Amino acid sequence: MKNLSPKHVTVGLAVLVLLIIFPMVVTQIFPLQIMILVFMYAMLGVAWNIMGGYAGMFSFGQAAFFGIGAYTSSFLLVTFHVNPWIGLIAGGLVAALVAAAIGYPCSNLRGHYFAIASIAFAEIVRVHFNNWTLVNAAEGISLPMLDESFINFMFHNSKVPYYYIMLAFLIIALVVCYFVATSKMGYYFRAIKESHDVAEVLGVNVVRYRLMAIMISAFLSAMAGTFYAQYVLYIDPESVMLLAVSVQIVLLSMLGGAGSVMGPVIGAAVLIPIAEVTRVWLGHKGTGVDMLIYGFLITIISVYQPQGVWGLLSRIGNKIK
Amino acid sequence: MLARNEIMPEQLLQQIVNGLLIGFMYSLIAIGLTLIWGVMNIVNFAHGEFLMIGMFASFWLFTVYGLDPLFSIPICFLLLFLMGVFIYRFIVSKVMKGPMLAQLVVTFGISIFLSNLAVYLWTPDFRLIPPTILQGTWDFGEINLSIPKTVASLGSVVTSVCLFLFLRKSKTGKAILATEMDREAALLMGINTERINSLSFGIGAALVGVAGAFLSTYYYIYPQVGGLFGLIAFSIVALGGFGSIEGAFIAGVLVGLAQTLGGFFFDPAYKYAIVFMIYLITIWIRPQGLLGW
Amino acid sequence: MKAKSWVTICLSMSLLLFFSGQVLAQGVIKIGGVYPLSGNIASTGLDCKRGIDLAVDIINGKYGKGLDLPMAKTGGLPNLGGAKLEVVYADTKGEPKNGMSETERLITQEKVVAIIGAYQSSVTKTASQATERLKVPYVCSDSSSPTLTERGFKYFFRVSPHDAIFARDWFQFLKDVEKKKGKKIATVAILYENTEFGSNVGKYARKYAEEFGYKVVADISYAANATDVTSEVGKLIKSKADVLMHASYITDAILFTKTFKEMGFAPKGILTMAGYIEPGYLPAVKTDGNNIIVRSTFALDLGKKKALVTKVSQLFKKKYGIDMSENAARSFMAPFVLADAINRAKSTSSEAVVKALLETNIPAHQVIYPWKGIKFDPQSHQNIYAQGGLVQVQNQQYVTVWPFASAAKEVVWPFPGWKGEKK
Repeated sequence: MKNLSPKHVTVGLAVLVLLIIFPMVVTQIFPLQIMILVFMYAMLGVAWNIMGGYAGMFSFGQAAFFGIGAYTSSFLLVTFHVNPWIGLIAGGLVAALVAAAIGYPCSNLRGHYFAIASIAFAEIVRVHFNNWTLVNAAEGISLPMLDESFINFMFHNSKVPYYYIMLAFLIIALVVCYFVATSKMGYYFRAIKESHDVAEVLGVNVVRYRLMAIMISAFLSAMAGTFYAQYVLYIDPESVMLLAVSVQIVLLSMLGGAGSVMGPVIGAAVLIPIAEVTRVWLGHKGTGVDMLIYGFLITIISVYQPQGVWGLLSRIGNKIK
Repeated sequence: MLARNEIMPEQLLQQIVNGLLIGFMYSLIAIGLTLIWGVMNIVNFAHGEFLMIGMFASFWLFTVYGLDPLFSIPICFLLLFLMGVFIYRFIVSKVMKGPMLAQLVVTFGISIFLSNLAVYLWTPDFRLIPPTILQGTWDFGEINLSIPKTVASLGSVVTSVCLFLFLRKSKTGKAILATEMDREAALLMGINTERINSLSFGIGAALVGVAGAFLSTYYYIYPQVGGLFGLIAFSIVALGGFGSIEGAFIAGVLVGLAQTLGGFFFDPAYKYAIVFMIYLITIWIRPQGLLGW
Repeated sequence: MKAKSWVTICLSMSLLLFFSGQVLAQGVIKIGGVYPLSGNIASTGLDCKRGIDLAVDIINGKYGKGLDLPMAKTGGLPNLGGAKLEVVYADTKGEPKNGMSETERLITQEKVVAIIGAYQSSVTKTASQATERLKVPYVCSDSSSPTLTERGFKYFFRVSPHDAIFARDWFQFLKDVEKKKGKKIATVAILYENTEFGSNVGKYARKYAEEFGYKVVADISYAANATDVTSEVGKLIKSKADVLMHASYITDAILFTKTFKEMGFAPKGILTMAGYIEPGYLPAVKTDGNNIIVRSTFALDLGKKKALVTKVSQLFKKKYGIDMSENAARSFMAPFVLADAINRAKSTSSEAVVKALLETNIPAHQVIYPWKGIKFDPQSHQNIYAQGGLVQVQNQQYVTVWPFASAAKEVVWPFPGWKGEKK
């Protein structure tokens, strides 16, 4: 519900400039890797937010769409040599279709029931891909090492192109989210979130708008999936369709502030570095301390700052006015 | 897949029996979850981890004090009850007034914390309690009943019935049911709903702690053991209808049967997909679950 | 409590910027070890680490002369001024994306000159893609997916046998034991967990079953963390197979063993992989593990024919208080291969090391397995002498039973059934 004030635009542009300059200043691989992951998860969070934070459908199954995107483009690349950029769009469309197919029967599910249904759906997809010989089942798909180029969507010598591509994807997602949020559609989403029944009585076609939310969300998540495949060059159901990935997406969106455009971005910016850094510093002893800290933080944030960081910032921002 | 006519009736019966055995275990796990859900509208995503703690409690009581798992059940009940009340008082109660998302997420945080605490304290290794008083199988012709499993399942049924009676017959139990049905009305009737919340969370945890103690008599124990059990429990509770104890019980048995028979007749690799599929289909037809309101 | 969120944000942001490369200590050669050190499979990762740490101690001369292993006599790499070897570990948590990022971090930030790891084949895939991109040598001695050496990679080398070899061993064994015991075997049941490891084994088992002329009467895949496996075992019983072949991790190995006994599934032979030889398996199932046959590259009783094995296992037991397991034994070899190659190359530059690796020719008496030695195929970079063996659990110990020529004890065949049954 943020209207764009000159202050916001300035801050936003400043941050953008900083992000663009970042890889020129920081050339080490690990920080770049963290930033790429931050962008990717932020995009997934923004995608989730469209259906969860705005339309009130708390999905814990986003990994399914992420995975479908990754698998569609990779399968097309390996089997039919389809260019990954076309595969990207194809993946998004397939994910959106699947989303509609599953979204329709689930369109009158509320709150907890919807959440569990999303988990059930994602698990079914994962088990299916794990056994589907067409996509190599559990063995996964290894992407071939093509020549490095933008057209091939593959780079070997440096992470920097990946950095900019993911940043661009994130910006696309944010723009989509912003338009959804400030448009009539977004208004209807929020009405549905507040109360299904009231929205219906007021003449909102609840089913149609719910489907739209899910489809947009799925498309964006699938884009991130294709990126992941082109980045890591190997996908299998265990790594792209895992419940833990879905949960992570919800957690960072909530942490950052669900129902606000920038919320998931902040959530990703905080949680992902923490997860990566604590793993590097503490993980190698095998004691799980890094995840302990992670779990602790999540619990604390839920209790003391449920509106997320964005909620906190806006309260401060309001006070400053 | 082999042809139907190649299956002997004893094999079918064996599978049904096993489905029931695992089903009763599931029921007990699910009942605790649905109680919490019904009373305070919180999906306890840490439920699987409570199960894990129950299993470890039983393991350590055995290893350190030589206590047979069957005898440590009351201790597990108490331990998990206290833990549940503690977690409610100091963490969950504070999100009760917050947004739904915070309520969903806080138990996830607790779950991550607990499973990694277990890794930290007890290492990720797998433990098994060696067969003690209960071991071996009863053979009825072609049907084999694992004694530990059977005792665990019967124990689950007994515990479930005890809970059912407690809720229906005791004053506190009725207060819990009342709060579950209509919070406002219960408040008006002078019921201290905060205390009921606390109590219910504790009992819910205690129940799954007992399930863990039963399960530890034949299943391996490790920090992430709660994962799949927890996942299945959510499906069972939603299938049965949130808040309905009877629903959770029946759904637990149904899921146990579906898993076993589905795996036997169809493909074990899809076992759990079948369980989730059944949940989805039931929910589509009857959004409030089998016995939910 | 608002302060808490601020602290969190600031901390994480500044941590990001705190990174700097490590200072390279003089006279130390760093290699990177990527393993699952936390998460579900951490106990295995830590097991591998034990093997590697012992190897590094030996290479650095901690145990003095008297060990016929590369570098052991000299302590450190003589051609590089006695430089010591150091392994920098990274935790992959068992996830392929971490395999990639940790490998990159170790190379670019920690400045390791080579990589070893990562146990799980899916993680090794991404980690080795990173090394291939960054042009750094990778010596793997603990991942068994055949696909790893089918990619035509220049920088990736594998020391240990892979699952196709192991699957073939199963069937070769069947042929041999048929002859030896004069009992015919006609049907096999293939059971495997449904991740990359298991399904690959399943694939090769099917292939070799056909090649060797056995009929597959059951082909079952399942989730390793299943809560209950009575349907799977029910199907196995229904199939009436002569022999069971099972590829599993440790948790399912335990669960299945118990369920086999419970439901009275006793085929003529139970041939298994991986999970059944994990250190936690026998302590969990005790006597129920008896007479099960597992594929293995290593067994303690190899020491009867090779004194080196006994010496190494004693050192292991002294250092850790437990017996050397197959995982630790497999991971043990990689540091030696690297140390040997780097030494011969007289340099840590990737091209020189890769060239030296291609010329590797470690003799039989310097490896702790019954192989003819270590030599890499110039195309696939697979060790051509790598082979598996089979051990059988007898009296709760792993005993080498095949190949018959190097067996320590006679194989118990057919499977005598389960003890303690009330039949």
